[in-house]
Formats: sequence, C-alpha cells, structure tokens
Amino acid sequence: MIDIVRQKISKLLSDGSVKGVVALAMANGHVAPCLFQKEDDLEPLCLGDTKKPGDARYPLNKVLITIARQYPEDVFGVLVRGCDERGLYVLYRLNQLEPDKVMTIGIACPQELAKACECKKPYPDELVAGEKTEGITQQGVQDMEDMDLSKRFSFWKNQFSKCVKCYGCRDICPMCFCRECSLECEDIISKGELPVDIPVFHLTRAMHMTDRCIDCGLCDETCPSGIPLRLLYKKTSKIMNAEFGFTSGINKNEQSPLNLMGPAPEK
Amino acid sequence: MAGLAASFGSGAMTNAMGELETTDAIFIIGSNTATTHPLVATRIFRAIEKGAKLIVADPRKNQIAGFADLYIRHKPGTDVALLNGMMKVIMEKGLADEKFIAQNTEEFDAFKQGIDNFTVEEASEICSVSVKDIEALAKMYGEADRASIVYCMGITQHTNGVNNVKSLANLSMLTGNIGKIGTGVNPLRGQNNVQGACDMGGLPNVYTGYQPVTLGAANKKFAQAWGVDQLPTNIGLTIPEMFAGIENDEVKALWVMGENPVVSDPDADHVKKVLKKVELLIVQDIFLTPTAKLADVVLPGVSFAEKDGTFANTERRVMRVRKAIDPVGDSRQDWEIIQEISNRFGFEMNYDSPEDIFNEIASLTPSYGGISYERLEGVGLQWPCPTREHPGTPFLHKDGKFTRGKGLFHAITYNPPAEVIDDEYPFWMTTGRVYAHYHTGTMTRNSKSLDFEIPEGFLEINPVDAQNLDICDGHQIKMASRRGEIVTKIMITDRVDPGVVFMPFHFEETNVNKLTNPAYDPIAKIPELKVCAVKLEKA
Amino acid sequence: MDYRNTLTTCTYCGCGCNLFLESLDGKLTHTTPCKTSPVNEGKLCIKGWNVHQFVQSEKRLNKPLLRKDGKLTEVSWDEALDFTVSKLKEIKEANGSDSVGFFASAKVTNEENYLMQKFARAAIGTNSVDHCARL
Repeated sequence: MIDIVRQKISKLLSDGSVKGVVALAMANGHVAPCLFQKEDDLEPLCLGDTKKPGDARYPLNKVLITIARQYPEDVFGVLVRGCDERGLYVLYRLNQLEPDKVMTIGIACPQELAKACECKKPYPDELVAGEKTEGITQQGVQDMEDMDLSKRFSFWKNQFSKCVKCYGCRDICPMCFCRECSLECEDIISKGELPVDIPVFHLTRAMHMTDRCIDCGLCDETCPSGIPLRLLYKKTSKIMNAEFGFTSGINKNEQSPLNLMGPAPEK
Repeated sequence: MAGLAASFGSGAMTNAMGELETTDAIFIIGSNTATTHPLVATRIFRAIEKGAKLIVADPRKNQIAGFADLYIRHKPGTDVALLNGMMKVIMEKGLADEKFIAQNTEEFDAFKQGIDNFTVEEASEICSVSVKDIEALAKMYGEADRASIVYCMGITQHTNGVNNVKSLANLSMLTGNIGKIGTGVNPLRGQNNVQGACDMGGLPNVYTGYQPVTLGAANKKFAQAWGVDQLPTNIGLTIPEMFAGIENDEVKALWVMGENPVVSDPDADHVKKVLKKVELLIVQDIFLTPTAKLADVVLPGVSFAEKDGTFANTERRVMRVRKAIDPVGDSRQDWEIIQEISNRFGFEMNYDSPEDIFNEIASLTPSYGGISYERLEGVGLQWPCPTREHPGTPFLHKDGKFTRGKGLFHAITYNPPAEVIDDEYPFWMTTGRVYAHYHTGTMTRNSKSLDFEIPEGFLEINPVDAQNLDICDGHQIKMASRRGEIVTKIMITDRVDPGVVFMPFHFEETNVNKLTNPAYDPIAKIPELKVCAVKLEKA
Repeated sequence: MDYRNTLTTCTYCGCGCNLFLESLDGKLTHTTPCKTSPVNEGKLCIKGWNVHQFVQSEKRLNKPLLRKDGKLTEVSWDEALDFTVSKLKEIKEANGSDSVGFFASAKVTNEENYLMQKFARAAIGTNSVDHCARL
C-alpha cells in the first residue's frame, strides 16, 4: 500500500500539480507529520502504523490549514483516511480550505482499525490505496444509552472530574480552528481551578462539535485523563442524525442543518 | 534525594512511570500529581480503572485525592509521625515482609526499636488523623501484593525532608515493595532536567554520575581528563551557604545560569539583599527575570526550542532536545557562552557541538557510559546504561539487590517543623503549583494561553476562616510571616482545612516566598518551603 | 517554504514529554504531542500544549546587558564577555577560588550543566556549584 501512496505523491510532485504533500514521515525513530516537497525525499514516508494499524495518526488537515493560511495561492496534497476526507468536506463548507487547492491521497483503513474506531465509513470516497472494508455499527453509544440514567450521570461526572484542563481535545482536533474559543468564554466557563466546571466545560465542547465532529478519535487518544470523549461526540452526532438526518462530512456538499434558518428539514 | 541515596544507594525514582499501571496500590504523599505531573496522573487513573487502590495523604485535598479510596488530611509537617504510625500498624498486624527484610536489608533492629517506642495514638494526636484512618492506611498499603509510593516536594521541602524520605524508604523495605516491577519509592522531579543537573555534577560534592569530589580516584580521573594538575577536594558551598558566604564577605562573585532565586527561594527579601551585595553577579537567562534585574552583566542564552542537547526525566530517561528554530535576536547557545568565557579566562575548551560534549560526559560517567546521540534516536535510554550494548534500566534495585548492597533502615523520630503556629501567627501556610503555571512563571507567564488561565496569585482559605476574618471570595487579604508580608486575592475553598492556607509561588507581584522560611534540612539543605506560620487580616 | 516538525523534549516538569515543535518559515506555530513516545503516548498538559508560546516572545532578551552608572545597558558580546572574564579573574586572584559560586540549572541541558561545573572546578578551582534541586 505504501508503495502506491509513494508513487502517487511522487507523481503529484514531479508533474507540478502540487507545491507539497502533507503526510507522515519516520524521523528520529518516531512518526511525525511532514510536508514533502521533493519527489526524491519520499524515503521516510509512512502511514502511521506502528504497533497497531493507525496508532500514530496525526491531524494532517490541521497542518494543511496552517500552511494554506500562509500560502493561499498554492495547491497542496494531503494523505487522508475516511475520517480525514470527511473533515475536508466540513472544512470546505466552513470556508477554512479551498477545495480546488487541495488534492487528496486517500487510503482505506484495515478492518482492525475500523473496528477499534467503530467507524461508519472507514475509507475515503476517492481511494488511492487499500481495500474498502465494511462500516461498523456503533455499539459503544448503544451500550452507554442502555445504562440507567443515574448510573450514566455518575459515569460521566466521574469521567469529567479527571479532566486536567489541558485543552488537548480542542488543540488536537482537526475541526477546531476558531480564533476565539467558547471554552475560553468566561461568561460560560470559569477558569483558574481544577477540576473544571462539570459538566459545562465538556458539554460546551460537545455542543460545538455536533455538526463538525468527523469521528477521527484523536481527542480520545490525546486525553491524559482517559475521558471517553469520542463516545460523547458520537452520542451528539447520533442525536444530530436522529433529529436532522445529518452526519458531519458524509456527503460532500451537504450544508449543516445548524447553518439553516427556519424549521428543521424533514428527516 | 539524599534520603534515598542513604537508604538504597541511589537517589532517583526507583521505578518507571508506566509501571504505576501494573501496581495494586498507589500511595501518594505530598504530591499534587494531576496538576504538577499530569502524565504520571494518567498512569494512576489507568491503574484505578484496572482496580488498584489509591491512597492520598496531603494537608490539601487536591484533585487526585477526589479519586482516592482513602484520603488522609494530616497537619503540615507531620509526615514522619504519620508514616511511623502506619509502620507500627503494619508490624502489629503481621504485614511486614520478614523474608525480604532478613535477606536484603540491615539495621532493622534499631529501626524496630524506634517504632516499638511509638504508638498509633501518638501519631493520631500529632497528625490530627484518627487511629482508624491510620490503621486503614497501613492495611491498604501493607496488604497489597505490589504497592508503589509516589511523592514530591510536599515530602522534601521540610526541615525534616531527609527524614521524611528515609521513612518512605523504610516503609517500602518493611513490606518488600522495592526492586520489583510496579513497586518502589518514586519521587517526581519537579523540573525538566533536575535529574540531569544532578547527574552532571551540578552539585557541590560530586562530579558527573555522583562520583565524589572527595574521592582520590575520581578527583584524579577528572583532573587528568580535563588536563589540570589538580582539582579542589573540599566539598563546595550549597545555595544557602553561598548566600551566607556573600553576607560574610567570603563569596564575591556569583554566576547564575537559568535560575531565578529571587522568586524561587525562601525569604525573598533577604535573597534580594544578598544578590545586591555580591560584587559580581552574572546572570545567563532568556528573560529579564527579577534576578537578572539585579545583575552586573546579563548574558542572553537560548530556550529549549533553539538548542540541541539532552534532558534526563524523572524516571532517569535520557532524551534528546532538538533545535527547532534559530536563536532569537543576538542570543547565543548557552554552551558557547560558557566555552567562550572559559577560553578568554585561559582554560581552553574546543567543543564543536553539544554531541561532542556529550561524548566526553559518557567517557567519564559510568552510568551514562553506553549512551550516545545515535542510541537516543527513538525512545531514549534509562540510566544506568554502562555499555554500548546495555539496554538501560527501567527499575533500580532489582530483586532486592540495592545499589549500596543492602537496603539500610533508619530509625526516625518525629520532629515538628522549624516554625510552628502561635498566638501571633496562628495559620499554617503551605505553597505549591497551579495547573497552568510552572515554577517562577518566567516562561508560562509569557505564554498567552497560560496567562489567560491564571493571570495572578491567590490564597486558598477555608470558608470557616474566611467567615471569621469577614472576607469574601476574590477580595484582598494581607498575609504576613516573621519575614515579610504580601497583599493577595483570596479563593475560598474547602480544599484546605480551617487553620491552613495555601498559595502558589509563580507570581512575583504576590511573591509568597517573601514569607516562607529559609530554615533548611541539615543534610539535604532543602528549605522548609512547605510550612511556615502566618497571620491574616483584611486588606 | 520551510515547514518542520522538530521532535524534542518538553522544558517544563520532570515528566519529560516528547513533542513536536511545528514551525513555518522560522516561526513556531504549534505544539503536537508525540504519539510513539513511551513517556506521554500522544498526550500533554496545558503547559506542554502551549510550550511554543513564550519562545518568540517580544520580551525575550536578545542583547547582552551590562550595568553602567547603575543601569543595565545593551552592549556587544565582546564587551560583556571581556567584562565578565576580567572581573572573574580579578576576584579569583584577590580572594581565592572559593570566592566564586555557580548556580547550574535544572532548566538547561546536561551538556550545558556539565560545561559549567567543568569550568567551575577546572578553571576557577571551586566545587561551589549547586542548583535548585531542592526547590
């Protein structure tokens, strides 16, 4: 798979269709986000699999936004899995990236990773390498909903109490790009003390993610306190889907119902 | 570290951070782990999830105490009494590991005699903790198959700091919880390279790798390697002794590299007076700190982001620091500043890179002997790593084979802190860190996001005391000790007991170290930053 | 276009988390925790996430300063170093080696600490080297 990806990137760079490609590289014995600019420098390219498939994924779209803001005229390539491609669709919709300035190199996730993520669509629409595997049903949310209410309440309260307010869930999130963040709005959330305001801090972020979260799971992986944030956002996404028939990033040109004025569209 | 060195022969965290996930009981004492070492707290949260018991003893009910199976709020400075009470129970209930003690330790009888002469009731009285809680504490730690101790400055920054640490070492040996995976006595180092600074001989009594300056062989070895006829054999001055030396005209020049004693050291007004007095004060730093403002010459070095080198973390893991950007402005690499001064002084140095310096360190330091920059690519190496083939050492004192031979028990008796409360100064005051700031704030307070989180200092006070003083949350209070006074905002919280107040020390405008007590531990020379007596009045 | 992620070790507490400093054209833009680090496994605290922010602060010292007429004044490196060295020599000759004291640092690298204690011991001839291990 890596050879196909390498060939594709090499071609994009050599025929000048992109200025650079945002992907992953092996350097200093670790996987790192990288901007490849020359076709001869592709030796360290990797896909972020170390002990398990996809266990060293990074928010490459976030890297792309940083570079694109500085170089708005240039076209860049980016390595994407299913979730990353969903992310791009949302970022196009929210005017953070220009679709005609981005070329994707899409890879499919193996079954093992898809299962671990309970991913609905573990492959991108535009696939360059890898075999498409089936989407997985989201059992985790169901299990949580099956807990009785008081048990569920104390489960989340206990999880939120562990928060050390690193803001890592926001800082790693490829969908978080706001210059002003509601988590730093003192009218909503008090600051200066641990634990954080429970549940306001986490629910404010969950609200903010309802039509954005593309279920990449990077927040879960970066939380130093092991709070199951992905599960929380899967739940809000499920509500969005139930109420509006909307799933963030699944359809390329779909507007978020939260962007529309007037009554809710029919399901 | 002196305490662990005396007990085990090596003054460092005995086990690796990740091993905390494999333990059955974790005993945290004097560490606000979730705030000061969040990545250690990660392991503790995971251990709890796997069913490990968590015990927290701290005068202040910090965040992680909220997850404890047992939380003990003892009076500040009474750790030895608490631990001795605990060990009394362990021995009475037959929870001591007699086989381990017999095979791997010495001086147990003297220790036992000390414990025999002490009662749990006395401990209860001194610590203001119920006998029942002390018994529960002892059983929870003593009955665990594998138990791990985690401590930090709440244990060491006392005039009894070394005794506190020796007591923890006693506790681990008494129950055989040392030299195995998931056990040990684990001091969390407060600063990124405090372990490395010690390893590198940044101490008055040792060269690199703790080779004593007083030992003829080491002295000779370094003299030869450095190309000098002789090196001094007398132990040098510690920081408090250097300050005293300036006062009585014995020390005339001070070169301070990357430290800010005006904010970090106890009795700040006195430190300032001393630094003003010294004839030559050289400060090498990245910001114009309150200490740099007093200097005769300020040399701009570079931050971690602009340099190559290595740090050693709290678990003795040596890791690479890599240069990300060029030095800011006209600042220079710190190693180049020292080399340049040395050459102009007439002692020649010709290093061409930090790696060049590291290779010399490895050649002179057995515990670093097998480490090279090449081998540090990847996950780093935990010392001791004596040879090129050695994989590094995740935990020390394997199978009870202590670095010093046998583990040494110490008979420790409780002594009160150097300053205790009285009618004039009726509140216990203790200090520490907050989640968004680090040490004297030089770096964190110049970071937008962190300054936003917590822009100023505050004093934590119990609701009962606030009511008695007739003061509301967020209002100003005047706090004074025998050494100085400050005015600060208050935060009303039951994290602290009535009669105890807590203040973070990151803020030079409300510098709590104007109040703290410079009295220090006779062996480690560590000041009693964690306890002093203060009075409070409405400002 | 110079985009980099430099793998390094955090400069705050003793955990020693590994992180990437992201830079674009010489300016630090972001910090990302290293997922394959055995220490932090892709996680950081609030200080770590923002560790790039102070580095290029306007308040950074960027010129040597020398006290002249009671005030710290910007000078050249040559002037600062010459002053430092001549005063050190003068004080050592007049008062002996132990009249000079050194604060090494828990903040700087092993290499820099090593060099400072070497200078103290071999060039000045004193063992009065200490740092804030106790704080």
